[in-house]
Amino acid sequence: MDKPVKLNQRRIFILPTHRGFNFAILIALLLLMAFVYNNNLVYLLAFLLASIFFITILHSYKSLAGLVLQKGQSNAVFAGEAAGFDIHINNPVDEERYYLQIKLEEAESLTLKPQSKACVTLYSPTRKRGWHTACTVTISSTYPLGLFRAWTPIRFNLKALVYPKPSPRELPFPETPSSLARQGFSRKGADDFYGLKEYQPGDSIKHVHWKAFAKGQGLFSKQYGGDSSAEIWLDYDNAPGHNTEERLSQLCRWVIDAGRAGIPYGFSLPGLKLSPDHGLLHTRRCLEALALF
Amino acid sequence: MNIAQNKNILIFLLSSIGLIALPHITHIPIAVFAFFYLLLSWRFIGIWKPNWLPDKLTIFFLTVCGLALLYSQYQGILGRDAGTRLFITALALKLLEIKSERDLYLITYLAFIVAASQFLYEQSLLMAAYILIVCCVLLATLVCINSKKPQTGAALKTASLIIVQALPVAAVIFVLFPRVEAPKWMLFNEHHQAKMGLSDSMEPGSISNLGMLGELVFRVKFTGALPPPEQRYWRGPVLSRTDGKRWTQVQDMRFGLLLDNPVIKGPAYQYTLLMEPQDKNWVFALDMPAEFSLSLSRNANYQLITSENPDKRAEYKITSYPNYNTGYITRTEFKDTTQLPGEPSVKIKQLVKRLQGFDRTPEHFINRLLNHFRIENFHYTLTPPLMEENPIDTFLFETRYGFCSHYAAAFVYLMRVAHIPARVVTGYQGGELNKAGNFLEVRQADAHAWAEVWIENKGWVRFDPTASVAPERIEQAINIEELVSGGLISYASTSAAAQKAFNLLKQARQLWSNVDYNWQRWVINYDNKNQSGFLSSLGITDTIAMVYWMVGIIGLITALLSWLLLHQEQKNTSPVLRAYNRFCKKLVKHGLSRGKGEGVKDFAERVKIKLPEQAENIDQITALFIKLHYGKNATRNDLKQFDKLVARFKVYIRVKVC
Repeated sequence: MDKPVKLNQRRIFILPTHRGFNFAILIALLLLMAFVYNNNLVYLLAFLLASIFFITILHSYKSLAGLVLQKGQSNAVFAGEAAGFDIHINNPVDEERYYLQIKLEEAESLTLKPQSKACVTLYSPTRKRGWHTACTVTISSTYPLGLFRAWTPIRFNLKALVYPKPSPRELPFPETPSSLARQGFSRKGADDFYGLKEYQPGDSIKHVHWKAFAKGQGLFSKQYGGDSSAEIWLDYDNAPGHNTEERLSQLCRWVIDAGRAGIPYGFSLPGLKLSPDHGLLHTRRCLEALALF
Repeated sequence: MNIAQNKNILIFLLSSIGLIALPHITHIPIAVFAFFYLLLSWRFIGIWKPNWLPDKLTIFFLTVCGLALLYSQYQGILGRDAGTRLFITALALKLLEIKSERDLYLITYLAFIVAASQFLYEQSLLMAAYILIVCCVLLATLVCINSKKPQTGAALKTASLIIVQALPVAAVIFVLFPRVEAPKWMLFNEHHQAKMGLSDSMEPGSISNLGMLGELVFRVKFTGALPPPEQRYWRGPVLSRTDGKRWTQVQDMRFGLLLDNPVIKGPAYQYTLLMEPQDKNWVFALDMPAEFSLSLSRNANYQLITSENPDKRAEYKITSYPNYNTGYITRTEFKDTTQLPGEPSVKIKQLVKRLQGFDRTPEHFINRLLNHFRIENFHYTLTPPLMEENPIDTFLFETRYGFCSHYAAAFVYLMRVAHIPARVVTGYQGGELNKAGNFLEVRQADAHAWAEVWIENKGWVRFDPTASVAPERIEQAINIEELVSGGLISYASTSAAAQKAFNLLKQARQLWSNVDYNWQRWVINYDNKNQSGFLSSLGITDTIAMVYWMVGIIGLITALLSWLLLHQEQKNTSPVLRAYNRFCKKLVKHGLSRGKGEGVKDFAERVKIKLPEQAENIDQITALFIKLHYGKNATRNDLKQFDKLVARFKVYIRVKVC
């Protein structure tokens, strides 16, 4: 689900922990002691502990009740990396929430001050390209005495796009027949700086002229000689590899390399053709196409 | 960071454990106690010097030491004393091995058991309060562990809140939880320290200093009128046999059971006796106990014996008749009560002759003898000289200083010389009236000995020779307090303030005593008999009804608590917004309401036009609100000031007079 989730009696589960069970054994032991010695004060202590055990259920409930959880954004990752999902937690009441544990694969813990919000990034490891869905997010707390654990499993619609794992092999960009005659030249020309132009969204961050930005002169992109001349086609049919995944992996590698170098490239998969371009947006479109192929 | 290594939590836990074990100093051997505190201090030092903590081998060695110590102190595993020592030693050893959160929990649970074992020794209200406080600290340790934040103040607050919420539930369970007596085989035979008090023999000459013990023996609550002080004789063992020095009970009392019941007449006193734990199964009743609880029986000497374990507090309902006639005397009884160890000395015979013991009626002789004690130079003292040889002769003719036992022994002896059946009765005399609770408190210091003489047609009649020597001993029972304060009063009598302070002190003491009495009666002594009595008065008669009531009341309390907890959730706006809403409300009364989506600043401008004389205040409030609500670096002081400004804000509207 995408909507914010408020924790209430329908969502919070409470069960005793191991320690809670041991506490119950302690109470039983005290009752036995009281019984054997017919000692009313030991009875009273046992009853007090039993009442505390009982009252703690309410406090456990209170440790989670009222919290509002909302799913945040998630970033695309390459297969094998952990996908991060942001979860926003809002504590709208006047009480501090101690030691909340929020878990997807690994538990994160946090303490929320009264009337405060926090954002936690939870990671889930990915293996295959495509849409990665994370399962249930569980928020739990053992506050105050550790005898009970209150928890709420929430099935957020957590999805992250997973790109293919880039091939470790560094192969030269493929020779493409459609490229212009000056292709050898263009490879060199990619490094030739010839001027600055105003930054446009989609320009590679690597080409931003940070020094000028730091001086407060505005955001500029460096222009390289090769930018307009070199043209490469990254084609599924020309990609080396024994199977689809290997080919996609190699294509992924080229897309990243080309993106890094700022070389414009065309991209073609069966059923998809993207004309030569460069910049982050183009890279992303190519990677998305690879992920979802 | 590992929470088990957290300094603050460790300090907190170790201090509470030090407090838990502290009252055990009076019941466990000093070696075990020292062992415990040695390890505790070692662990304390270990907080700052973790390298000094023992390694596995040392802990093993220490465990062996601890076990050896336990073995040397007590050959056994079961039982109260052994159990307590075992748990204390285990707790001490576990302290040295704190590695994870689990260990902290185990230690806390062990500490709860040690705290409970405290109640097996002492059950006073003060002890209960002390243990409650320490338990609160222990719970706070758990709160600290679970909040991962060693904020001791906040943790203590949470722990006490939980305890306060749990107490009513605990009280309900306490009242309604069915009490079942443990079967006899489960009761351990405990060898208690000898309690001071009455013994089954008396040897006046060998005691030169009777300790004045303030320890409570029993309390009596009368349903009707209280008997006058001169009738407050609480009957204990009757001593008939003597060897001249020592007075003992007649062992064989089987024939006594065949005796007829004494003839009783006149007014009766109904009372409830609350006995403190005793060594012996004697129950001290007023003469003559006629109706009593089923667990009691009356022996041939008209003394009440209980069949219950005297080790526990017990309550008995008794009715006594001060006017009675025991009738005839049996042959064995006559033999026993006229028995003399040997031929009396010439001096004694002369004395009896002089007092006309041989030729006149017993009553006449008794009167002459009591008069003799009164007019001759006899003195009452609690520190008499020792009388090793012929104590009765020495007392009657030489020292003439003694306390009740001396007088009773001499009196009985002289009676027997005159061939009159007589015996010594021991027990308690008097008792202090607690005005706050209207009950009598009888303490060890009230222990007394008097005489009984068998008179034709009257049966056994009580005579108290001590009364002729020190009537104030009987009429107004001397007790510790008055003896101690006697000196105080004599020199402080000039100062009225001191007297007043003393009276206040006495009142406070009596009030406390009353609280204690009710604590003993309703909490400590709340057994299955009391419970069924109390519950049936409420209309709860069987166990199933008890369970229903328990579940019902606890459900009610839970509902109330949950409502309280959920209610807090409702007011989920920030204090800043709440204050601002208060400000807006003040304006609404005068027709200025903030529109939906209207900016705070716009609203302020609009209000200022209407209320130009308040412009400055409105600006201040608005600016602070913006800072607090939207800004990042607002301080607590800002909030305080904001609250203050809103509270002070008042709308004055000039009444336009046309």
